[in-house]
Amino acid sequence: MNDDLKPQSKDYWRSLDELADTPQFREFLHREFPKGTGEELADKNNWSRRNFLTLMGASLAMAGLASCRRPIEKIVPHVVLPEVYEPGTPIHYATSMPFGLDSYGLLVKSNDGRPTKIEGNPEHPSTIGRADIWIQAAILGLYDPDRAKNITHSGKEVAWDDFVADWSTQFTKFSANRGQGLAVMSEQFSSPTLARLKEEFMEAFPSAQFVSYEPVNDETIYDGIEAVAGARLQPLHSLHLAKVILSIDSDFVFSETGHIVDAMGFADGRRVHSQQDEMNRLYAVESAYTLTGSKADHRLALKPSQVGGFVLALARELSSQGLSIGRFDAPSANTADTGIDQKFVNVLAKDLLASKGQNVILAGRRQPAEVHSLVFALNEALGNVGQTVTYIAPLDRSESSTTGLEKLVADMKSGAVETLVVLGGNPVYTVPVEFGFADALKGVANKIQLSSHHDETSALVDWHLHQSHFLESWGDGRSLDGTVSVIQPLIDPLYASVSDVELLALVASGKIVKGYDAVRETWNSFITSDFENQWRKILHDGFVPKSAIGIITPKTNASSLAASARSLASVETGRELELVLLPSNLYDGRYANNGWLQELPEPINKFTWDNFAQFSFRTAQRLGVATGDLVKLEIAGRSINIPAWITPGQANDTIVIALGYGRKNVGSVANDVGSNAYLLTSAKNSGVASVTKIPGTHFIAQTQEHGTMGGFELGDPLQEKQKRPILRENTLSKFRENGLLFPLHPEIPTQQSIYTEPAYTSDLQWGMTIDLNACVGCGACVVACQSENNIPVVGKEQVSKGREMHWIRVDRYYSGDLDTPEIALQPVTCQHCENAPCEPVCPVGATVHDDQGLNVMIYNRCVGTRYCSNNCPYKVRRFNFFNYALEIPETVQMQKNPDVTVRSRGVMEKCTFCIQRIEVTRLKAKLETRNVGGDEVHTACQQACPTDAIVFGNIKDPNSNVARLKKSPRNYQLLEELNTKPRLTYLGLLRNPHPELEMSTES
Amino acid sequence: MLALGFLLTGAVGGIWYYGSPKYTDVGYRPEQPVPYSHKLHVGDLGMDCRYCHTTVERSAKANIPPTATCMNCHTLVRPTSEALAPIRASFAENKPMEWIRVHDLPDFAYFSHSSHIRVGVGCESCHGNVAQMEIVQQTEPLSMGWCLDCHRNPDQHLRPMSEITTMGWVPPDNQAEFAARVKAEKNINPPEDCSACHR
Repeated sequence: MNDDLKPQSKDYWRSLDELADTPQFREFLHREFPKGTGEELADKNNWSRRNFLTLMGASLAMAGLASCRRPIEKIVPHVVLPEVYEPGTPIHYATSMPFGLDSYGLLVKSNDGRPTKIEGNPEHPSTIGRADIWIQAAILGLYDPDRAKNITHSGKEVAWDDFVADWSTQFTKFSANRGQGLAVMSEQFSSPTLARLKEEFMEAFPSAQFVSYEPVNDETIYDGIEAVAGARLQPLHSLHLAKVILSIDSDFVFSETGHIVDAMGFADGRRVHSQQDEMNRLYAVESAYTLTGSKADHRLALKPSQVGGFVLALARELSSQGLSIGRFDAPSANTADTGIDQKFVNVLAKDLLASKGQNVILAGRRQPAEVHSLVFALNEALGNVGQTVTYIAPLDRSESSTTGLEKLVADMKSGAVETLVVLGGNPVYTVPVEFGFADALKGVANKIQLSSHHDETSALVDWHLHQSHFLESWGDGRSLDGTVSVIQPLIDPLYASVSDVELLALVASGKIVKGYDAVRETWNSFITSDFENQWRKILHDGFVPKSAIGIITPKTNASSLAASARSLASVETGRELELVLLPSNLYDGRYANNGWLQELPEPINKFTWDNFAQFSFRTAQRLGVATGDLVKLEIAGRSINIPAWITPGQANDTIVIALGYGRKNVGSVANDVGSNAYLLTSAKNSGVASVTKIPGTHFIAQTQEHGTMGGFELGDPLQEKQKRPILRENTLSKFRENGLLFPLHPEIPTQQSIYTEPAYTSDLQWGMTIDLNACVGCGACVVACQSENNIPVVGKEQVSKGREMHWIRVDRYYSGDLDTPEIALQPVTCQHCENAPCEPVCPVGATVHDDQGLNVMIYNRCVGTRYCSNNCPYKVRRFNFFNYALEIPETVQMQKNPDVTVRSRGVMEKCTFCIQRIEVTRLKAKLETRNVGGDEVHTACQQACPTDAIVFGNIKDPNSNVARLKKSPRNYQLLEELNTKPRLTYLGLLRNPHPELEMSTES
Repeated sequence: MLALGFLLTGAVGGIWYYGSPKYTDVGYRPEQPVPYSHKLHVGDLGMDCRYCHTTVERSAKANIPPTATCMNCHTLVRPTSEALAPIRASFAENKPMEWIRVHDLPDFAYFSHSSHIRVGVGCESCHGNVAQMEIVQQTEPLSMGWCLDCHRNPDQHLRPMSEITTMGWVPPDNQAEFAARVKAEKNINPPEDCSACHR
């Protein structure tokens, strides 16, 4: 390629190996299907290839013509056809999913009476039609073959009636003594029915205890607000109104409460399509490298103990620049000690003051209450309350309470608790180890647990009841803003289980109450007239519109604020190593048996089926630890063995570990995956660890180097490394200056192709754009695609060989130096090239182009030469090396989408732009004798994306969203110089740094 | 050499014919749990296809009727017939009937009835003259080549909407003109792209 065509772009690297340009990396890059392709049969079944062929040959010879008659297929209609049901046409039902103190409004697709796909409910304020990885993956939990399927008493299977009989004796006893010795421990909930039943319980048993606890909770947020505002209020953000956003350790695009709405609001402020458009600016101060940090225009990596000092420094600077924060005097602290860049603070303060009333400060759940108090006061002083942040007094909640838990455990240990009912959740696994919950259980005479799996707690209880999944039970919920939703089942409980509502009703009243009746009883108080009709309407809508709780305007109490500030100033920051425990793809561990979430690469580091002790580059160097080394972490006498990982950009002297791993005896997917970070928890934030290297290395399966789109000339030392502008980015100011998306890009001359293309006569021409400004890297698209398209889970070993089957992947690129790199994210899927390199090379014509612009894959014609994926420069084609379909458990087969072929061994597959959705919509439009709307078809990834980064539609329709976006000045084709003419184009990344701060992260 | 040539031709020709759906699938006539006679109900009694196969105009699938549809008549007509015992049992015990599927496509091929009914393809074109069948049998190969034959040249198979369920329909003399008109009216464009059926 001659010099004139050599494009130039920022220097990106995807892994430390790539940066160091190790021979192993080049070797990996060279072969798309790494060494060992021929020997996998030896791995799998202890057969060598020769034996296998011999065996197959023999069985074929003996098969004869016996199988010529085709197998019998049955058609099994109903006895009486339900009124709304049309065989072959799915029905959508509105329901909701409880998640912490939130309730996500959903529309769930039901095929032939079983739920197959979850979507967000477009009308519902908590999801606005979007989703996240936990919503999309939840459906697999319903069909999990490792779910508990029966009630056991001391390990023996018993009937529901046996439990009811046992409970009635308990009920009589506790009714007589006002509940002395009775305790219920539940997960957090925000639900009118559960709240009513909790009240009923407390009325029936005034001396009993009812404690809620979850390890990932917002306790400190409510504590902090309560300290200065006098009530436990719920903050709600309107990030789309903010010009400047400051995140204090708040991963608000991914895992903080309300992340779907916050991600959308944040992305709304970054949709720049002309040089006059405005763009918000995000500052992130955090210890781990989170997705929010990756989107930040300015990022400061600080140890957890230094974050409070940062907020103090900011408050001091703001007040010195003229902001009045009540009668508040920020105590002075030595900035040098806390290692904070004063310039960063100064510029940030200036920016905040310049955008008063149009900025917002968010603090995350890992920050202590004092930080939340301070942030509350600052938001108030900056005039944000009622604009970008509002507060409501929430209802119907049972918040997680560590103090309540402490009291309960103390009582359990002293024998004061006779009967404990664990209503969902897994306390033996999740309660901080120093509480000694497992030991405390020994002091309880009668232990009852309701949970979905036989987990760590189940091994220690007397009665274990299997819990209904939310897709098979009745219930209700209140979202963050107070909107009331209903949970309605899509299928009868698969294993005749009970829900938390039903168990709590039995416990509180001694009577068997069906969930349906319990919920209707609660709603009788909401619906004042015409109950049956209103009830039916709510079941149709899924929620009660306009039921959000009215906002209030609280005021800061100055003296409480001063107390919080003093407390923050006295935090010691000189500790050697600090620990940060994060919710992972498995959240707090509840999704450990979910194969989709285990295989979903961790958003920043891209490892799968694992968790690591993550170190920054300098800290790893100091400790002599490299990625893959095994280390022993010790905190206050407790220790775990865990492999190490270097995360460039993480704060120094900080260890970050994801929660939810290291589980045993739970299910075939979860067992022995990763290390249990809960063993290092304590009730107070972070801790001091000592790190010792132990012998051995760890088997890693990470995807960060897979699908590298090259730009390397191998084996030619004379040629410079050519950097392809795969990811184009620029700053807003330069974009405004010269309108170019990246510094210098020579013109690509019009190129010719020797292949003929289809005539494209159809009125429907499909195209897609992905906005890199909006993409936050959450991975909802990946899981949604997996759910919609029957994509198999391949397991850790196959992922390590690059054989993960995700049709869409989110690539993560680092740029800058090892200490303070920036991150850019790019979802990559089949580009549906008009001039596709994969099509001409298929020897059997299994991949062709259709008249609507799609590159079509025909599975039955594919013979598995893999020449197509060899030729694909984007590396988006996935090959079925094994017959994954054979391994799908019976219940999981129920989840599969009947509109998409389930692929067998030896065929290639790839993104189809959801051809099944296109076809269904096209046929529907034909039946209604109308045209298909330009925006009518939504691909699965588009529908799940919380920020509308993915837009799909008819590019021939000039009014469609996708056609308009393709005219954006940020629009570019990936690997344009190869003349593939992809239908999927990207909108380049723009960052918005403050002119007075260098555009890089600081530490 | 010549003998080898004949042998090879014979082998290929044999596989070509005996291996194709025209041989393996046409004439498939499985025995059903109840000897339901289309000849009686459709031919003699004149019932319309859509009385039982209700969703054919709206859905991808033309459903086999639920037991309740049979019982609509058979609670009064021949209520004690021996042959209908399984139907009555199904209705009484609330257990569905298990019919053997006659017309089947491979799982990777997706067919939609409603789009074909919409344009006026008759039931008879693919399912044969059902009104003459005591036991349902497959009369057409339903192979991809057979489908494409019509997709490439549908004129002879497009009927007026009133004739869709007619058995024994013969295209009239003005079929070509009629087909041209209806193709323009309804925007009929039978797809020949793979994506139409292979998802």
